Amino acid sequence: MTFGKSVTRREDARLTTGRGRYLDDLGRNALAAAFVRSPHAHARVGEIDVTAALDVEGLVGIYTYDDLGGPLADPLPLLIPHPTLTAGRTGYPLANGVVRHVGEPIVMVIATDRYVAEDVVGLIEVDYEPLPPVVGLVASRAGSRLVHADLPDNVAAHLVQETGDVDAEMSAAPNTLRFTQTIERSASMPMEGKGVYARWDGQDDSLRVYSSTQTSTSVRAAIAAKLELPPGKVEVVAPDVGGGFGVKIVHPWPEELLIPWAAMLLDREVKWVEDRREHFISSAHERGQIQEITAGYDDEGHLLALDARIWHDHGAYTPYGIIVPIITSTQLLGPYKPRAYRCAIDSMYTNTVIVTPYRGAGRPQGCFAMERTMDRIADDLDLDRAVVRERNLIQPDEFPYDHGLTFQDGRPLIYDSGDYPESLRMIRELVGWDDFETVRSRAAAEGRTVGIGLACYVEGTGVGPYEGGHVQVENSGRVLVSTGLTSQGQGHETAFAQVVAQELGVPLDDVVVTTGDTRRFGYAVGTFASRAAVMSGNAVALAARAVRAKALRIAADALECSPEDLDIVDGVVQVKGDPSSAMALSTVAVLSNPLRYAFDTAARAATQFAPRTDPTRAPVDEDDEPGLEARDYYSPIRSTFASGMHAAVVEIDRETCETKILRYAVVHDCGNLINPMIVEGQIHGGVAQGVGGALYEVMHYDEHGQLLNASFMDFLMPYATEVPHIETAHLQTPSPLNPLGIKGAGEAGVIPGSACLASAIEDALGVRISAMPVSPSDLFELLASDPERTRKGSR
Amino acid sequence: MTAEQHRTITLVVNGATHQVDLPVRRLLSDAIRHDLGLTGTHVGCEHGVCGACTVLLDGRPVRSCLLFAVGADGAAITTVEGLAAADGTRHPVQQAFTECHALQCGFCTPGFLTTIAAALEDNPDPSEEEATEIISGNLCRCTGYQNIKAAVLRAAELKRVDR
Amino acid sequence: MKLSGTASLSAPPQRVWEALNDPAVLARTIPGCQQLEETGPDEYKMTVSAGVASIKGTYLGQVRLADKFEPTSYLLHASGSGGPGTVSAECLVQLRPEGDGTALTYDADAVIGGVIAGVGQRVLAGVAKKMAGQFFAAVDAELRGIAPVSTKPDRSVAYLERTDVHQGRTDSSWGDRNIHVDVRPFLVGGVAGAAIALLGVLVGSRLGKGR
Repeated sequence: MTFGKSVTRREDARLTTGRGRYLDDLGRNALAAAFVRSPHAHARVGEIDVTAALDVEGLVGIYTYDDLGGPLADPLPLLIPHPTLTAGRTGYPLANGVVRHVGEPIVMVIATDRYVAEDVVGLIEVDYEPLPPVVGLVASRAGSRLVHADLPDNVAAHLVQETGDVDAEMSAAPNTLRFTQTIERSASMPMEGKGVYARWDGQDDSLRVYSSTQTSTSVRAAIAAKLELPPGKVEVVAPDVGGGFGVKIVHPWPEELLIPWAAMLLDREVKWVEDRREHFISSAHERGQIQEITAGYDDEGHLLALDARIWHDHGAYTPYGIIVPIITSTQLLGPYKPRAYRCAIDSMYTNTVIVTPYRGAGRPQGCFAMERTMDRIADDLDLDRAVVRERNLIQPDEFPYDHGLTFQDGRPLIYDSGDYPESLRMIRELVGWDDFETVRSRAAAEGRTVGIGLACYVEGTGVGPYEGGHVQVENSGRVLVSTGLTSQGQGHETAFAQVVAQELGVPLDDVVVTTGDTRRFGYAVGTFASRAAVMSGNAVALAARAVRAKALRIAADALECSPEDLDIVDGVVQVKGDPSSAMALSTVAVLSNPLRYAFDTAARAATQFAPRTDPTRAPVDEDDEPGLEARDYYSPIRSTFASGMHAAVVEIDRETCETKILRYAVVHDCGNLINPMIVEGQIHGGVAQGVGGALYEVMHYDEHGQLLNASFMDFLMPYATEVPHIETAHLQTPSPLNPLGIKGAGEAGVIPGSACLASAIEDALGVRISAMPVSPSDLFELLASDPERTRKGSR
Repeated sequence: MTAEQHRTITLVVNGATHQVDLPVRRLLSDAIRHDLGLTGTHVGCEHGVCGACTVLLDGRPVRSCLLFAVGADGAAITTVEGLAAADGTRHPVQQAFTECHALQCGFCTPGFLTTIAAALEDNPDPSEEEATEIISGNLCRCTGYQNIKAAVLRAAELKRVDR
Repeated sequence: MKLSGTASLSAPPQRVWEALNDPAVLARTIPGCQQLEETGPDEYKMTVSAGVASIKGTYLGQVRLADKFEPTSYLLHASGSGGPGTVSAECLVQLRPEGDGTALTYDADAVIGGVIAGVGQRVLAGVAKKMAGQFFAAVDAELRGIAPVSTKPDRSVAYLERTDVHQGRTDSSWGDRNIHVDVRPFLVGGVAGAAIALLGVLVGSRLGKGR
């Protein structure tokens, strides 16, 4: 039994000994690339003079938009169209006359190595005509300056999700409140940046591209289309990837097209690996929103109407569509059932880096909106914050709960399962919610200021349309598993092996998993939206079940019994209750391929079992295939909903205003767990990013659109000293929507971070927190000014 | 433009002596990865903050992205590839990382391993607080550090057992 | 790819013709020229070694003259091939007096194929212009009187008349000198600046090896 066990990971053997193969570890003899990137947030690009660069020893080529032809000269694709995205805009692989954010690529340089390429970049002179930049949501809304000349209000999309009659419920509500709050940008910031390595085979007219991507199949499709190659002649492989967190799902990055194109042009291997500054200014950010919330509620705290008006900062272009605000608009509801709800979002352009999903992908913002509302209702009515939430929770007997809205997968927002009241009970117990006043007074007696916060979320996971799995038993008995989606540290090689080992009845060590390689599996969507375990986990399970059924059929034939009499234990097919009547799965594999030739020991061993000699049947049945393998796909009817609740105890130093997290508790429900250790690791990582987003991480753009903190020196990510010890309790409400009963877990840890810590800080200080992240200086200024006080704070 | 200035230096890496001819501006991290082909050491930021490039220089952890290779001429360098024993047995800290699930994507891991291996030589029995202190200069985006802290203590435990 | 440019030469058109008529001059002034020889009426082949940084090569070019309207303009057809590339180009060269000197303009239209076409338009154009500039600067130095132009009596510069091109020689008189004028090499030379610079980059190359 391997499913549900905390098995140590197969990946670790190579990753702990320096034998990982990340993008820059490949292509030792490849040419290198570097880019001239815009130093202006908004400018027209004039003359590009390369004269001074021509003498550099090691220069190979210099390319601008003028060198691009065919589909490569068209704008980059707009990946996820939506009816409300009436003003979608994308950039070009190399700037076509205009640049709209600092970092946009203008010139590509190919040279013998990266040092030389950067030398060349430094010698290229570009004439710019700076244009007025639009920085921040306030400036974008004002509309006096435009990001795209043909869009007079800087609005990319206006989308509305609503259910019930918000206006009627609001006017009838006994109590209303209204507030505005903001969340600043952060970014995925994986430890490994992006990279692309391309090899062109001119004799075979085929291309192999390695990319540090979350979706090798989609990168392949994009490259094939843009470079006008048959998809069958393009292979894309995701090697070991040093983290993604969403930023590597965007495709194609300009470099994912330009590097293969250069490899074809020059008939040489070409590789590009970005440096950290490049990543800051030319990948993607996320989180920035301004939210105006109006809530109507009764005297018990039941939420009758919630009206959220949101402005979302989308950066300069919308290559990934408006998925992030769509997710905000649907996940804002959390585990609650307001009578009426409306969320209207304007997605705005600014002259800054593009905004695409970062772990959470709009859910943290939605959670922030709802949870802060809950806190304010509790404060207004002088009720316990947990009690108010409890009164609004969807009850276990109300599943499936249809909110009457459309989720990001285009399907109805229907929660399938969960137990929110139980989660709340568990988190209250775990963190000691009900006894906290004792803790607070004890601390106060020592002159310390502490507070406690709570936040709940629901997360739609396992979004479709599908993932596939291929399972094959080799003659040696080794089981090869492949799936098209990719890995960035989630332990797929282990988790999926556990699934197959369990389904097939083979030792875990016999199972080898490959992910993210189009040579091994060609149809896939990608790793994002907490979907990999749900999608590929189920797909490989289904494929394994098909292999098992076939194995039993073949073995039954050979052992002259019925498949129902058989079981597979430790890789041996045996008659239930009579282990002496058995055959190794490897033997079954040989028998499944009715060739005459016995190449290896396994094949020779199989000859003891007579091949089919019934002359009325063909060696391979009409609906059958040779080989002990199967391919299957899992395609969900809709997303399956995980949930969780976080609570934190914080201490604020009154002199330095520094926030210290004394305790952080998590109750987490993602249905059945394949590997509890891996799931907990995902939660820990998410919580760390939640802490980062609440207290430390922000992108500092100045009014000229310059990113002032484009390095780790000034963009503060948490070290070990900033992340608290995380206490976790699991609840498991299996998903009724998929065979394995699992729900996604990848993003859960980060979703309620800002909401939870804002709640705790507010509880500690008694002043309203309405902007995140909140730094010590923010708190200092807040306390020094005349801030809006909470009911407790005003006493 | 004049050709780059080169120098031939000696790098003793994981016990093996290498004569390398390289440009004087080549960073030690790049020399290790590209001139010597030891790609276990990773580059995360190139400005000395993340620690992924940490190697041991005469036993002390250093940011190899902040050193020129010529500056390490003649020094004894240990990279993650050199932590295991000659017979391939993994170093206790490598073993501990697996047991404690202290890595996910693995990109920051080599920097942690060298840092912790060196620290445990100086302080074989760290407290929980000291364990946090030991790893407080390396960034990890995946694990939230909790399991890495556990791995420091587990590695210390395994080292004691080895003796 | 279109490439055009101008050069100012410090001698009247006549002397410019004569200088460019002298294969010895051409061999000295064409950047990287290793060999220049006549292969037939109005046809020449040359071996030139040139390039930019990592794209260096030795290549063979063939040049054919046409549409000669002395002393004002020529059309030159050039083609060449080598390792990673091929080129075929047409170049129109025009001379007109400018004060005491000559204003020369060249307009070339080239089709480039193969790997060498892959270095980017700005590199190709930049290097071609650079080499053309080097060529004309070298010719200009010659014209400004480093040495008498003709080192071989039968290659003296002279006023040109239309001649029987097939014979490639003509008898003419200018002042008190009887000279032969060999039209073809000069015609080649006359357009060499642009075309050869173009060829120098475009034709046959070898990319630098990896690190």
